[in-house]
Parts: sequence; C-alpha cells; structure tokens
Amino acid sequence: MSTTTPAVIDPRRERLVALGRRAAIRLGGGVLVLWAVATLTFFALRLMPGDPVLAILGGPSANPTPEAIEAARVEFGLDKPLAVQYLFYLGRLLQGDLGVSYSQHLPVTRVLVEQGGATLELTIAALALAWLLVLLLTVVTAGRGRVVGGIASLAETLSAALPHFWLGVVLLAVFAFGLRWFPPAGSDSVASLVLPAFSLAIPLAGFIAQVTRESLELTLEQPFVLTARTRGLSDLAVRFRHALRHALLPGVSLSGWAIGALISGAVVCEVIFSRKGIGRQLYQAVQAQDMPLVIGISLVVAAGYVLANILVDLLYQWIDPRQQEAAA
Amino acid sequence: MNSPILPLIPLCAALALLGCEKAEQHSAQSTTPQQGGTLVYATDREPTCLDPHVAGDMPQVFVAQQYLDSLVSMDSQGQIGPWLATRWEVSPDGLRYTFHLRRDVHFTDGTPFNAEAVKANLDHMANPKTQSSTAGGYIRQYRATKVIDPYTAEVTLATPYAAFLEVLAQGFLGIQSPTALLRSRDQNCESPVGSGPFKVVRWDRQNQVELVRNPDYNWAPPTAQHQGPAYVERIVWKFIQEPSVRFASLQAGEVDVIEALPPESHEAARRNPDVDLIIAQPPGNPTNGTFNLRRAPFDDTRVREAFVRSADVEGALKSVYFGEFPRAGGPLSMATPFYSGDFEHSQDYDPARAAKLLDEAGWTGRDSEGYRTRNGQRLRAVVLIGARTPPSELTLWEQVQATTRQAGLELVLDQMSDAQVTARQAAWDYDIRIGYWNTNTPDVLRIIFTSAFVQPAGVGGYHQNSSGYADPGYDALLDSALATQDAEQRRQHYFKAQQQAAAHYLQLTTYPQSTRLGIYKTAHGVRLEPSLAVTYLYDAWVNK
Repeated sequence: MSTTTPAVIDPRRERLVALGRRAAIRLGGGVLVLWAVATLTFFALRLMPGDPVLAILGGPSANPTPEAIEAARVEFGLDKPLAVQYLFYLGRLLQGDLGVSYSQHLPVTRVLVEQGGATLELTIAALALAWLLVLLLTVVTAGRGRVVGGIASLAETLSAALPHFWLGVVLLAVFAFGLRWFPPAGSDSVASLVLPAFSLAIPLAGFIAQVTRESLELTLEQPFVLTARTRGLSDLAVRFRHALRHALLPGVSLSGWAIGALISGAVVCEVIFSRKGIGRQLYQAVQAQDMPLVIGISLVVAAGYVLANILVDLLYQWIDPRQQEAAA
Repeated sequence: MNSPILPLIPLCAALALLGCEKAEQHSAQSTTPQQGGTLVYATDREPTCLDPHVAGDMPQVFVAQQYLDSLVSMDSQGQIGPWLATRWEVSPDGLRYTFHLRRDVHFTDGTPFNAEAVKANLDHMANPKTQSSTAGGYIRQYRATKVIDPYTAEVTLATPYAAFLEVLAQGFLGIQSPTALLRSRDQNCESPVGSGPFKVVRWDRQNQVELVRNPDYNWAPPTAQHQGPAYVERIVWKFIQEPSVRFASLQAGEVDVIEALPPESHEAARRNPDVDLIIAQPPGNPTNGTFNLRRAPFDDTRVREAFVRSADVEGALKSVYFGEFPRAGGPLSMATPFYSGDFEHSQDYDPARAAKLLDEAGWTGRDSEGYRTRNGQRLRAVVLIGARTPPSELTLWEQVQATTRQAGLELVLDQMSDAQVTARQAAWDYDIRIGYWNTNTPDVLRIIFTSAFVQPAGVGGYHQNSSGYADPGYDALLDSALATQDAEQRRQHYFKAQQQAAAHYLQLTTYPQSTRLGIYKTAHGVRLEPSLAVTYLYDAWVNK
C-alpha cells in the first residue's frame, strides 16, 4: 500500500519479516501436530487387542500356516519390541518413507497418490458448491425483513445440522434410485460427482451461510451502501459488488476449518457412493488394522488441515494489517 | 472374522433351488452368442491381491476364475476331469501323482505352459514367503515336484491325500505364468499372468479391475460350453460395497451382473422382468456357530443338543432373510461331494426335548430371572461377534437368543473388534464361534473337527478346529478317507464322519453359504464355474 519514498525502515519489509516469523512459528507448530498424530495413531492401533499378523494374512478368510505367519511377522518387523518399532517407524517417516500397506501390498505413498486425487476432487467440488449455495442464499435474502431472513436462517440451521450419511442416503434414494438422474456409484464421470458433492456441500453451506448472513446484514446498514444506492445502482449490484466484499471474511476463515470437516465427511460419502478416495481407504484400513496405511492417511489429512489453516491465517494477516499490529 | 469365517471355495454344483430353473429360462431367451462388447460386473468386496495364491479370500478367486486355468476341472457332479493336465496316474500308496500335460498352452505373457510351470506354481503356493493361507493350507502334504520330461510332472506328497485333485480344481490353486511368478509378490498381486480366457490389464484400486479377452485362448475345460476365445471383448469388474447401491445400479442397467445380491432384494429382482437370478450353494461346512467343548456348559453333549433343539433357526431365517435362505441341518452343505441328506433333521427345533436333556444334565434349578442353574451357576453361553459380522447375521443370533431364553439358557452376544475375536478364539475364551468353511471336498470335516487342527496353526494361537473336539476314532476315520482313491470307500468313510459330527452336536448349523448373482437383460450365458460356485464369464456375451 505504501508507495511513498523509502524511510529508514521500510514498513513493507518489516511487515514481510513479521509475516515470515509468524509463518515459521505456525509451521513449527504444524510439525508438532503431525508428530503427535503419527504417535497417537501408532500407539492407538498397536494397543488394540489382537495380532496384526492375522489381520495381514488374508483377513476374513485366512488359513495361514505357521511358516506363513512367521514370515509375515519378520517381514513387517512385528517381532521387535514396540518401542523399537516406534523408533524405526519415526526414522522412516523423517525420510519420507510411509512404509508398505499390509492390506494393499503397495507402498503407502502410492496408495495416497492414486486415491488422493479423487478425494481432492470431491472436497474442492463440495467447497465450491457450498460457496455457490451460500452466495445464492445469503446475498439474495439478507436484509429483506424478518420473514424472509427468518426462513432462510432456519434453512441454514437445518442444513448445517444434517448428518452427511443421512443426506447421502436420501439423495441416493431420490436422485439415483428414484429419478435415476445420476449414477448411484462410481468415480469416473462428472455425473457421479454430483450427488456426493451435494451431500458434503449442503451442511457446510449451512454453516458458512450463517456467519456470512450476519456480517452481510451488518454491512448493508453501513453508510457506503446507502451511497452506492444513491448512485442509482440496482439492488443486486449493490449486494454483489459492494456489500459482499466486506461480508466475506468470516466465511473465508471458516473455509479453512471446512477443509478438515470435508475430509472427515468424505469418509462417509465415499463409502455410501462407492467412490474411490482416501476417505474410504481409511475406513477399510482401520477395519483391516492396516497400520502403515492408517497412519499415512491420517498424516496427510492432518498436514492438509494444518497447511490450510496456516494459509488462511497468513492471508488474513496480509489482508487486514490491523490484526498484525494487535498480534505483535 | 479372522478365523472361522473361512476359506472359501465353492464347488457349487447342485446349483440351486431357484437357480437352475432361472438359469434355464435365461438360456432360453438368449439367442446366439455375440462377439465383442464390454460386460460390467459389480461385486461387494475388493480383493487385496489379485494373485489367489497369496492369502486366499473369496473375492480373489472370483477374479482369478476369469484369467487362470487349473490343472484339473470339476463338473457339477463332483467328478474330476482334465484341463491343463490331460491325464494323470496316482501311485498305489497315494503319495505320487504323475500329471501328463497339454502341449499347446501358453500364458498371456508368451511363456509356454509345461512341467516346469506346474513345479513353479506348487512351489509358489507352498513357499511361506507367498503367505498363502488357502492354497498353501490345502497342500500342506506337498513335498516336491519332479520334472520327468517337459510335459510330465510328478508330484510327491508326505501323506496320502485323496482330496488333492479336488483342491487342485479350485481357482485358488490356478496355474500362473512362472515368468510372472519370479517377480516380487506385490508386483504379482497387481498384475498376475495366467493362461485363461481373459487377462488382467489394469487394477484401479477402490474402483475396478479391467480384463480383456485372450485372443489365443483354445484350451477351455470340458465343463465349458464353447471352445476358442471368450465372447466378450472386455470385462469391467467394479467394486460397489453398498448392497442397495449395487442392486440399484443393476436395475438401472449401469452394470450387467451383480454379485452378492442382497436377500431383501430377491423378491424385487424376481418381479423385475429385466433381471434374472442365479443362486447357488457352495460346498463345504455351512454357516454355523461352533461350540467350544473345552469348557462348561458345552463340554456336555446333552447341553449342546439342548441348545440346538431350543434354537428356532427356521423361524429366525424366515424373518431375517425373508425365507430366501434354507436351513442347513448337517455338517456338510448339500453341494459337497459325498454329502448325505440323512442328518438334515438332527437339528430340528424341539423345545420339549431340550428341556428333558437339560434336566438330565442336572441344570434343574432356576434363578430370579428364570434361567436354569446347576450348583448355583447360571446356564450361560457367550458367542463372539466380530465387527465385520454382517448385521443380518447378528439379528439371526438375536432371534436364537430369544428362543434359547425360553429354554432357560442365557445366550450372551459379545460384540468386539475382529482382532479381539481372534485373540479370544486363540485363548479358547468363548462358548460359540460363528463361521463357515467353503471348500469343494468333504475333507473339510478333517480341518474343522480333527485333533491335528486343535493345535494353534501359528504363533498367533489361531486354530481351525474351534470346537476342540479331539477323538482318535474320528481322526482315524478322516485319515483313512484320504488314504483311498476308491469313491465308494470314500463315501462310506465320509458318511460315518458326518454321522459322528452330527451325533455329537459340535455346531449349530444355520444356513448354507450362497453365491447370488443378479443378471440384467443385457448379459447372457453367465454361469457359475461347476467345481466352485464362482462366477465364470468365459461363456458369457452381451447384447446392448
């Protein structure tokens, strides 16, 4: 913003340094979170009763010979003490090696690469769809008096409260089984993305719309809105071009949280709609006690969540310098 | 369920009840086979490895049946016939099998099929590194294969094993390219190579496996309905986990064939003119609850019979599975070779007899809740329910619980993780274990009830004989059944074995396992492989 001649200390540079420091601190915290996730998942899974070797060998229909059991035990390092296994595990993690999935017979990184795309596609589609719904609903109905606002607000609360699995099943029953507008299963076509994306987007839109509506209504009472109107702008133009910009911020910050929520919702949606993706993979990996895969997916999800929040945080600092001063 | 819900190898056969009738209708409406096109198949469970030698779970053999051939075939009567082996001799002591092989077969990677390939395959199944649960488990008697000449292989066994040819007919023991087997196990899991009518081209995890026709195929088994290459050009083998979604996809024509048709949809499928059903029972030991004979109360035969007699399984099946699943009363499923129907009614509901038996066994007291007691102890049995137990199975046991309660027996349904179930099973800490065992030989009676299988199979403490039954006479009976190749003698031995298992009430048998296909009007000629109730698409074609 400052375009004046440079002073002794360039305020812009100072601001960048402060931002960098803040980013470093947040990143350090993120690494700690990831370490905690890896450790908790490791011990939670290992402390579950039962022998992971039998989980590895054929699952539900195993008839393993003693030799096969022993071979698997040595192959996966399960013959060593738990503490040693943990240290080995952390060492490999630091080198970026997530290990080999027991149940998939594949390196965990490859599973993540193969399945991650579909989940990313679903979450991005759901987030975009959620924002579309938010804009349609809030911009059109905010500040239109008690009745309209009340009904819209009720709709938002209701949709925010809908569980993904229920919504998924209802959408399936109506639009796939009943009307047959969309395929009930699959992950290959855009048509198969529609229902899962809606079942994730509707509850999320409810949340975001609630905060956006509130700030939009406050904005519409500001004097500059009146100024804009007096210039003869149409009502919708005022809402979209002027008021919306000011009202978006709370919703944007909520979107950072939403990424985490969407991934947990993706577990349910991918199972219901038989889509590929890391959510369904996680569900199956937990059932099969496939530790490397469970930890790998948890780490990636946690990393995505941490990263999204750091970005939103920094974006905020950049957009609104007042917050930076307060923090300093 | 890690344990008793086990290997699975269907032999099918007496195809089923409604199955046969429906299948005939199906072939009547179909005209001449058409070449080309894509058949879309949807099933519930995705295999963890496409090579059926590794581990060995049912979803693997369903895919394997499309791209692998076996050494021998089995027809719907349980008779062994030629396939990749044209003929064979068995030594008088039953320890040496000499196979004479076809000379015109090659795998889809170009490797020729010969005696070396047979040796490489049997060695691969027996190698602990393969971690073969099913195939390896069935050939524990295997010693070595000697290559006599390029097209003659001599297999040596440690002990006589008359069921050897039967298990060789199972897709789990299908023959793969020895060149491909040289790769790492995980590579072979992903892109296995066989000599079958189709070959695996791509496995898109959690979505589908794609197979294409093998244009050179000219060695179909005698059980097949045509020779030469398969009719369909391509198979898309999809994984749709949710039963209702799978059935809806079939009704919408999005897929041509679905497997594991949910019982609640059978009626809707029959009413739908666009859909046909094939339902068949695989052979083996039917779905059951096996009693733990090692502790009270089921250490007493009278209490076991009383439990069986007080459980209204027929009534429960009617309400849980809409009458779609028949009652299994004997230790073997109807489709098993040497099955005898004599024991179907040894488990009929008879609460009066149950009460009399419990009185005789000394459970004469009653506590405040109305349960029977003996020496102040309540008559109580715990059944382990693992997390992957289907909800309908749980409901079935709840119904059993309600009827045994009337006899004064408390049945506790103990729900826990599958790993916990395995641990409890290893420690013999249960009264009833739910399970089934599909295999195309009555030798299953040896695996689930003889003393050799009471011992833990490995360090995990897993044991296949979850009843703990150990009777030298019974053991000898099953061993002598393996020592003879004479069908009539085998029949007699297996009859006695069924008789003894039934008389000792080692299990409450509930219903036979079943393969249930729904077929949309676009698909024709879909069959179940005669030796295993496994889908076989070689003779299938599509008309879209």
